[in-house]
Amino acid sequence: MSVLEVDKVSIRFGGVQALREVDLRVGEWEIVGIIGPNGAGKTTLFNCITGFYEPTSGAVRFRGRDITAMPVHRRTALGLGRTFQNVGLVKNTTVAANLATAQHLQTEYDAWTGFLGSPATFAEERRISERGALILDLMDLSDVADERVADLPYGVLKRVEIAAVLATDPDLLLLDEPGSGMGPEEAHALGDTLLRLRKEFGLTIVMIDHHVPLVTRVSDYVYCLNFGEVLAAGRPDDVRRHPEVVRAYLGEPDQPAEPAEPVIPGGTAGPLSTQEGAPA
Amino acid sequence: MSTTEETATIPRATGAPTDAETTAVLAPVPAAATPEGRWRPGRAGWLARGAVWLAVAWLVLALPANQLSPITIGPADVDIASRAVIFAIGGLSLHVLLGWCGQISLGHQAFVGLGAFTSAYLVTDLGMSFWFAIAVAAGFGAVQATLLGMVSLRLTGLYFALVTLAYGAFAENTLFGITSLTGGEGGKPAARPPGFESPENYYYLCLAFLALVIWLDWRLTRTKGGRAMAALRENPRVASAYGINVRAYTLMAFAVSGIFAGIAGSLTAHHDEIIVKSSFDFRLALTFVLMTVVGGLRSRVGVVIGSAFFAILEEGAFVAMVEGLIGGLGFTPTFFESVIGLPAEFVGLVVGPILLLLTLTLYPGGIGQQIAPITRWLGGRRFDRHAGAVREVEVDDVRA
Repeated sequence: MSVLEVDKVSIRFGGVQALREVDLRVGEWEIVGIIGPNGAGKTTLFNCITGFYEPTSGAVRFRGRDITAMPVHRRTALGLGRTFQNVGLVKNTTVAANLATAQHLQTEYDAWTGFLGSPATFAEERRISERGALILDLMDLSDVADERVADLPYGVLKRVEIAAVLATDPDLLLLDEPGSGMGPEEAHALGDTLLRLRKEFGLTIVMIDHHVPLVTRVSDYVYCLNFGEVLAAGRPDDVRRHPEVVRAYLGEPDQPAEPAEPVIPGGTAGPLSTQEGAPA
Repeated sequence: MSTTEETATIPRATGAPTDAETTAVLAPVPAAATPEGRWRPGRAGWLARGAVWLAVAWLVLALPANQLSPITIGPADVDIASRAVIFAIGGLSLHVLLGWCGQISLGHQAFVGLGAFTSAYLVTDLGMSFWFAIAVAAGFGAVQATLLGMVSLRLTGLYFALVTLAYGAFAENTLFGITSLTGGEGGKPAARPPGFESPENYYYLCLAFLALVIWLDWRLTRTKGGRAMAALRENPRVASAYGINVRAYTLMAFAVSGIFAGIAGSLTAHHDEIIVKSSFDFRLALTFVLMTVVGGLRSRVGVVIGSAFFAILEEGAFVAMVEGLIGGLGFTPTFFESVIGLPAEFVGLVVGPILLLLTLTLYPGGIGQQIAPITRWLGGRRFDRHAGAVREVEVDDVRA
C-alpha cells in the first residue's frame, strides 16, 4: 500500500486553475522529488496534501485513509510533517524553544495540567528539552540551540526546520525547497542527510526543490509539474531528459539540436549543470 | 498574510539567492560568544542584588502595613495599594490574550464585572463563603470568556475586536442591569471575608492572589499551552503544522484570561464592599488595554508595574502625589487645575493615551523593555544597559 496517494486533485483560485487532476503515488521508504518551473503548482500541491488548502475535487489518502478534509494539526498527528518554502519556524524564540514547540503532540501531559503547575510537568519538560537536544545533535545544530531564530542565516534555518519537523515524529516528510539558500556542497550534504534520515528513521520523503542535481541524486521517483499538471513522471534520469520537461524549463528550442546533457535552470539562480557539485 | 508564494501560479518574487548571497548565508554560524547562563555575579554582586530585592520586598510587603516603616500610611492609601494589586491581576488577565496569544479584547470590563457580581451575589444573597465565591467567579469567568471566544473567533482582525467591544457593551447595559442579581443602580453589597476586613489584611489577601496568578501565568508560559500560544500568535500556519490545534489553544487563552479576570472581579467586589455597575464601563476596558500595552507585552513584571501605575492614576493618587511633590517645591498645590487648566479627574484620561503613544513609538516593549536591564541584573546576570534593546515586541504584533 502506498503511503501517500494523491488522486486526481484539482484546485481553482477564482479563474486560475492551480492544479488539474494531479495524480501522485508515494511508496513506503521512497524519496520522491517534485520539480517544475516557478508557478507550476508544486507548493499548492503540498498545501493540498498537508491540509492548508482543500482541493476543489479529488482525494488525498494517507496509508489508505482519506484525509482530504482533515485539519492540518490532525494530519500532523497522523505522521505528516512538512517544512515551508519560507522558513516555517517561530522566529522570535530560540531554536531549542522551537524544538520544544514542535514536540507538542509528544508532550505527555494536558495543557491545563501544565497551567496548574503539576509537578509531573516539570519532569516531562526536562524530557522534552533533552529529546530536542538529541534531535538538534543529530542535525549537527547543537551549537545554535540557544540562538534566536531571527538571528540565524537562511541556510542554517533550513536545517533547523528539518530538525523541528523531525521532532513532530513524522512518518512522511514533505520538504518544500529544503535546499534553497544552499550552495552545491551544502546541497550535497543535505542529500546525505536525507538518505540517512530515511535509513535511520524509516522515513518516506517527498521534496520540492530547484536543485536538480540534489533531486536526481536522492530521489527514487520524480514528478515534473507544469501549469498545474503532471508533465512527466518516472525515474530521475528519464524525467530530466524528457523533451517536454526540457521544453518547460527552456521554452521552445530555436534549433532542433538537442544537447546530450540537457541544461536545466533551477529557480531564478541561472542555469544549473546536471553534474553533481558543479557551481550553481 | 501574504499568500503570494503559496499560490504557486504566481512566479516567486524573491527567487533563489545569488552565489554571493549563498556564500554569505552559509558563513559559519557565530558560536554563542558568552554563554549567558554560565556567568555568576561575585559576592558583592549578590549582596547588591539582595539589597535591591529586600528593598522591593519591603516596599511591597511592609510599607502598606506600617510595619518597619518610617512613613505612616493611611487606610485609604492601603486601599489604593490593594486596588493596584487587583489591577495587576486584571492586567495579567488581559495580557494572556494580548501578550501571549496576540488577540485583543475590548470587552474586559465584562470579564471582570461578571466575576465581581457573581462573587457579590453568592456571598450576599446566598450566604456562601468568600473562598467558594471567588472559585465560582473564576470558573464563571472561564466559561463566559470561552463562549465569547467561540463566537468571536469566527471573525478576525478588526471585526473580532468589534465583537469583544459589543460583548462588553452588552454586559454593561443588559447583564449588569438585572436588578435581582446585581442590585441595579443601588449596587450590591459584598462583605470582605472574615479576618480580612482591615485594609492591611485585605491587601495581603490580594497580594496572595496576585502571587497565585503570577505562578499560574509563569507555568502557562513554561509548558505546552503557553508554547502553543506563542507559536500560533506568530504564525498560525507553522503552529498547525506542529500539530497545534490553533482554535482550541486560542480558546484556552480566553479561558485562562477569564479565570484571572474572575479572580480580579471577585477581589474588586469585596474591595469596594459595595459594587455598582457603573464601575464596569467601557473606560475600564480601555484602561486595561492601556496598562497592558504600556506595561509591556510579554513582560510579566512590566504588566504588573504598568497596571499598578494605572490603578494609582485612576484613583487620583497619582495627581495627589505629583501635586504634593511640586507643592513642596513652592508651586501651587492645585497644579493641574490652575496651571495646566486640567481638572484633576481628567488627568488619567490624558496621561494614559500619552503614555500609550510614547510606548508605541519609542518603546514597543513598554515598561518591561525599559526596565529589562534592571530585571535581568536582578535575575543574577551581568548588568547590560542595552538589554531589551532587541525589539522583541513589534507594534503590529497584536492582530486586530
